[in-house]
Amino acid sequence: MPGLQKEKFIVPIGPQHPALKEPAHFEFTVDGETVTSASVRFGYVHRGIEKGTENRNWAQAMYLLERICGICSHVHSTTFALGVEKLAKVPAPPRAQAIRQILLELERIHSHMLWVGVAAHEAGFETLFMYSWRDRETVMDILETFSGNRVNYSANVLGGVKYDLGPAQTDSIKRGLDYLEERLHYYMKIVNSDESFLRRTRGVGMMTTAQAEELGAIGPTARASNVARDLRVDSPYLLYEQFPVTIVLGSTGDLQTRFVVRIQELFESIRVIRELVNHIPGGDLTVRFPRRIPEGEVVMRTEAPRGGLFYFIKSGGGENPVRVKVRTPSLRNFMSVLVGSVGHQLADVPMILSGIDPCFSCNDRMIVVRREPGKETAS
Amino acid sequence: MTESLLAQGLSLIEGKFVSQTAPEPNRIDLMLEPAQLLECTKALSAARWGYLSAITGLDHGAESGKLEALYHFCNKAAVITLRVTMPRDNPVVPSVCAIIPSATLFERELMEMFGVVCEGTPDPQRLFLPDEWPDGTYPLRKDYIVPAPPAAPEE
Repeated sequence: MPGLQKEKFIVPIGPQHPALKEPAHFEFTVDGETVTSASVRFGYVHRGIEKGTENRNWAQAMYLLERICGICSHVHSTTFALGVEKLAKVPAPPRAQAIRQILLELERIHSHMLWVGVAAHEAGFETLFMYSWRDRETVMDILETFSGNRVNYSANVLGGVKYDLGPAQTDSIKRGLDYLEERLHYYMKIVNSDESFLRRTRGVGMMTTAQAEELGAIGPTARASNVARDLRVDSPYLLYEQFPVTIVLGSTGDLQTRFVVRIQELFESIRVIRELVNHIPGGDLTVRFPRRIPEGEVVMRTEAPRGGLFYFIKSGGGENPVRVKVRTPSLRNFMSVLVGSVGHQLADVPMILSGIDPCFSCNDRMIVVRREPGKETAS
Repeated sequence: MTESLLAQGLSLIEGKFVSQTAPEPNRIDLMLEPAQLLECTKALSAARWGYLSAITGLDHGAESGKLEALYHFCNKAAVITLRVTMPRDNPVVPSVCAIIPSATLFERELMEMFGVVCEGTPDPQRLFLPDEWPDGTYPLRKDYIVPAPPAAPEE
């Protein structure tokens, strides 16, 4: 029937879907098994955080922003704290900056290892999934020695940090990282040599350098396509100037390269954590910080595990922020999924999606509870 | 490095904006008329000067009657922000999606949260807000008051 060929067939995926652990709604238009276009709706875990900061004071806003994401929580509060400290012209002491950086790199390790597990699971490689999540517990335990929490460590205060790096932390970091390094070598071997794994990842979700630049991809997703974007190198914050990381680039831009780039980055993280622990500056953990922040606007950008995190903070001179805009790396990278899935088999879409390490909580920052007479709905 | 990047970016769009400020050493803010937005965006993206990192909406409140959209272009540490001011009762900017297709998600967010109309945007659907959200209610505007959370159920 020739008339039928012009009709679109749309496959809706989500918001509840067995292959996606977090909610989003996708509509893939397909021709047979091949995807011809894609669109997306988010908002299923939107909590009103940007709006919420506007009627809280600066310190409360920081703890609220830390809860944007359970995986990369420390990077949110650090970015906000750095921005506010810039506005107030009261920088945190060097020792506090070093501790923030150690925590950021530990967080990167746990985030990337989580992703290795999730992506392996999507590829049907359950053993690697279980291995990487078991080994990830090592870094969770290290984080727990700082604050008692595995996630949302609340280590920051405006003008410093709460937790010091003592002998207990140093010891657990040193032992933990030795073990992790050995395991990472093993993962690197697997993702480069396991035949069934390579079949699911090599050449899948390709993004050329030109495409990555055009789509504005960031983070490991961009670096696997040979786009040198890493804010730790481009625009160093904290102590990244004294304790630099080397940018890790891949050339092919397929899923397999993203595995290699992420694992390679972890070796860099481990190296820089060790250096920081061995040469940590002395001094205070906090400085006195004003309650009112001088009027002004600041842009603060840091490298979260998934890519560049963007904060725009505006102060009107009062105790509350006037506006906090958060643009998380996942939102920037989602375009690469929408564009990258076109031309692929529908069955490859979950792999392409997990290739950017999407974080839905990061995207969705707003939810509003609506009250109607006799009826309350949270949507 | 950052200074030369900023100077290079500025030279691309010389004369296409109304005024400029430098709020931080690595940033330049350019105020423009809505009609100048496309020209500036075109010039920056044709020269591959960085990437559009985010679009921030700002509400200056009902008294001032102004909304502002900030287009942040980032190149390494340098940030050039194109700032477009619009009247609050008729906020219209041209869509930049024809030049930067990946801006569609940012524009959808700006439209639903601030009620800005991005003229010619390919997909005007909501991105974050639910279908049953009332039309004409823009949660990130200053006059939107967040309803009190529901009371805890009684024991």
